Amino acid sequence: MTMRALGRRMLSRDLRKDLGVTLSLLVVLTLSALLMATGALVVERLTAASNELFAQTKPPHFLQMHSGDYDTRALEDFAADHPEIESWFIEDMVGVDGSALTWSSASSGESGSMADSLIDNLFVTQSTDFDLLVDEDGTAVQPESGTVYIPVTYALRYDLAAGDTLRIDTGDEDLELTVAGTVRDGQMASSLSSSTRFVVSAEDWETMSGGSGVTSEIIVEYRLQDESEIPAFQSAYESEADLPQNGQAVTITLIRLINVISDGLVAIALVFVSLVLMVIALLNLRFVIRGTLENEVRRIGTMRAIGLPAATISGLYLRRYRILTLLGCVLGGLGSLGATALLTQGIAANYARAPIGLWSVVVPVLALLAVYVMVMLMCRGVLRSVRRVDVVGALVHGSLLGPAATARRARRRLRAARRTSLASAPGGTVNRRLALLTLRAEARQWVLVPLVFALAAVVVTVPFAVYSTFASPQFITYMGAPDRDIRSDVRFSDDVAGTADEVVQAMEATDGLSAVTVYGSVLRQIGGEEGWQTQAIDVGDHSGDGIQYVHGSAPGDDEIALSVLAAEAFGVDVGGEIALRDGGEGGELTTHVVSGIYQDVTSGGLTAKMQGEAPDDASAYTIYADVDDGLSASTVASDLSEQVPDASTIPMAEYVQQTFSYVTGALRSAALIAVVFGIGVAVLITALFLRLRQAQERPRSGVLRALGFSSGEIGGQTRLRTAIVVITGVVLGALGAALLSPPVVGVVLSAAGLGLTNFAFLTSIPLTWGLLPAVLALAGYLTSLVLTRSSRSDDLSAWLKG
Amino acid sequence: MTTTMPPTTSEPVLSAHGIRKSFATSDPPTEVLRGIDLEVATGEFLAVMGASGSGKSTLLYAISGLDRPDTGEIALEGKDLTALTEKEMSALRLHRMGFIFQQGYFLDNLTIRDNILLPALKAEPSGADAAVDELLERFGIDHIAGHGVTEVSGGQLQRASICRALATDPAVLFADEPTGALNSAMTEEVMTAIGDVHARGTTVVMVTHDPRVASRADRVVYLRDGDVVDETRLTGADPEQREHDLQDWLSRNGF
Repeated sequence: MTMRALGRRMLSRDLRKDLGVTLSLLVVLTLSALLMATGALVVERLTAASNELFAQTKPPHFLQMHSGDYDTRALEDFAADHPEIESWFIEDMVGVDGSALTWSSASSGESGSMADSLIDNLFVTQSTDFDLLVDEDGTAVQPESGTVYIPVTYALRYDLAAGDTLRIDTGDEDLELTVAGTVRDGQMASSLSSSTRFVVSAEDWETMSGGSGVTSEIIVEYRLQDESEIPAFQSAYESEADLPQNGQAVTITLIRLINVISDGLVAIALVFVSLVLMVIALLNLRFVIRGTLENEVRRIGTMRAIGLPAATISGLYLRRYRILTLLGCVLGGLGSLGATALLTQGIAANYARAPIGLWSVVVPVLALLAVYVMVMLMCRGVLRSVRRVDVVGALVHGSLLGPAATARRARRRLRAARRTSLASAPGGTVNRRLALLTLRAEARQWVLVPLVFALAAVVVTVPFAVYSTFASPQFITYMGAPDRDIRSDVRFSDDVAGTADEVVQAMEATDGLSAVTVYGSVLRQIGGEEGWQTQAIDVGDHSGDGIQYVHGSAPGDDEIALSVLAAEAFGVDVGGEIALRDGGEGGELTTHVVSGIYQDVTSGGLTAKMQGEAPDDASAYTIYADVDDGLSASTVASDLSEQVPDASTIPMAEYVQQTFSYVTGALRSAALIAVVFGIGVAVLITALFLRLRQAQERPRSGVLRALGFSSGEIGGQTRLRTAIVVITGVVLGALGAALLSPPVVGVVLSAAGLGLTNFAFLTSIPLTWGLLPAVLALAGYLTSLVLTRSSRSDDLSAWLKG
Repeated sequence: MTTTMPPTTSEPVLSAHGIRKSFATSDPPTEVLRGIDLEVATGEFLAVMGASGSGKSTLLYAISGLDRPDTGEIALEGKDLTALTEKEMSALRLHRMGFIFQQGYFLDNLTIRDNILLPALKAEPSGADAAVDELLERFGIDHIAGHGVTEVSGGQLQRASICRALATDPAVLFADEPTGALNSAMTEEVMTAIGDVHARGTTVVMVTHDPRVASRADRVVYLRDGDVVDETRLTGADPEQREHDLQDWLSRNGF
């Protein structure tokens, strides 16, 4: 018989004999490959979609938002002085509050308002050179008069399509536009972006801009010859006091960052889960290969005895794992196509349908290759022990170990035997005592289970903790806003101060509302290391707002508190001083001590707070209130919205949910996958481990049965040992995850530019660190319950012979 | 130690009728036991002999309830073993049966003493310690009580095996080739111990291929191709004479 034929025979015999073990291994390998390839593909698709969208829309390299009057001449002069500018223009926008926008769907017959949307709604006309707003095919849309292209987010949220109607209350008249389609926006694609753009014809835009209920804003946009010049260009722009700059300045780097945060997090979560699964798969394979070699030691001894080289023998075994791994990689790779399609639905809708390119093939193939190489290296390592097999030891004693190793093992067992005494061992019944003593003696063999469960506990808890943190109403702590029940935003109104007053009065008149607090947003210039920069500052009473400060405390009179990124940008720390200028060059200068630094992921992470009465000349107001127990925050909020339609009043929980809807939606999928896969893999490996262990322990179990232990009691021993190792693993894993993962996740999030330096999970402790690990442990225990149920009464003589 | 013959009664402690057992490892299945009838009297020492593959170990496993026969009835102290549940069978094995195997089958993470104590503690925790100490002393292995199973000789291990089998004071001691892996000195050591157990009134059913070992028994049955083909009773106190009588019987019958 040739070696090849021998290999084939061994393979088909092994597959038949150990079908359960083979299938379990295949599933674990497939899942690892699936997640690895999916994670890689999501990253590739996201990058490709983002690049594609950028290629179609040509977003500006630098943009400056501004509301109010500005000097066009100054902008022209600035452009003339800066040859690095490739192209520039001023985009005029009309801002409309969500409550002034109503829609009706022709197909469903439903209608509604966009009042519940927090995003700033900006109406623009199509640009000519760059920053284009494109349709599904990547073509710049040119709406005809009477039509409007709506953002993809709204089309999805309100289920709107071409042919539906959008009615805009401009304050003076109702403008009814027919939805012509959706637009993708390179600049404002992410849900983290605080505004979104509608495209209308020049004629309709003119009509809207004259309305009394709308606001006018501009974005000054620049494309530069070279992206590397952006920082220098930004400094140059911000140092010119007569240029419009009372709004946010944004660079293409920030746009890119915001775009990748949401889906990037999902990809990170998937890769993380797949890496842990890989470790589990490798540990598992090591256990299975060692177990197989032990079971087949006599066959290996015989092959060695007839002169087969060790390399040939290990090659025969390696073949099985190579085929399994290849099959796992192929199945995982195929599965990743479907999984990626599911996970990137949002990407495709919000960004662009990126063409399948070379990288779409290379990236997942490389990920799968990494899985294959890692698994093969592991197999080769374990199979090296074939070389060390002592022929006599294998044939006579049925042991893989040579004389020296056998003696070492005997000494270990001896030490274990001498250390313990059955009569005085703890545990209760003899059966339980024996289970515990055996577990102690066989700890080396059982260590796989706690390791797997510790890793599974990490997989199950961490992505869920990250998801629930983003979904938690308390996430507001990371948004620089107080943890209150209701929030009202007053931004688009001809009289923001008056509207804010109306909200306050309405709130004060509402029963069950308390602690009404008003904050006014004023724009000031702050002198930093790179010159004067415009910064929005929330002025109001911060003394009891409950914001957690990473350093320092809430601002007192004449003090200022800064967000982490703002403090970094201005190069100050708590106790340091910063200069504030009101009204550009020559404006009133004041100096303020930095009282505290807090974490904030909103407004690009750049925010500031000052103590005082909310000023009358603020550009926007935010009003918070608490709702008494027993009252529904959403009911109160919708009542208030009706009373003051110009303000967006919503429950705080919804504010967080809306801001992070895309992130939480994607993270929810990732967390769910992690929980299901984590528990599934743990169950699978427990089943596989116990099956192999039961096979190895058959002689021992046979002895115990001959001595009068029932198979139920022997099963009980296995269940007790499983419960102990599973619980140990889960507790250690969950504890490790709870203590060690927040700083790690924090580093990842702050690396993503979220401005979080001091990250802690905001998740339900009983749910994340109690229920989920408990379910995992229970799943492990139930597996042992199923596997140890004494269904068959095999002949004991067969057990004794192994 | 004494080797005087104990009294046997005509009342069978163990009876088996029509025992058939086949193994499905080949096609068609090999029938190893072909309708065996066997009775063992209380206090009797029965040896089962036969060539390799004759079915003697299979018979021992079947009549002791370790394996289930395909058909047939087995009764131990009047209890029908084939009708017992697995749990009842375990309880019966614990309290009324003792086993000695060729390989010893010890748990290597326990000391010799704990291996013996294990069934005793399970059967009756109170007094188990004292009973085990007494057994260790009786079979001359109290000095190795704290040793591990890899630290003692084969003969000592089999004596420990006997102690373990006797720890719950069983009605019948089943021994499967108890001296199969021992040299002649150790065989003598172990058979003296088994003889002592029998002398104290315990029924012994032993499988062996060694006529010298079998000559210790009161009665020897011979198996061939799954059937009891003949049996003989051995009398007299002189071991050499008994062995001679047995050898004579074996050769006369061509066994």
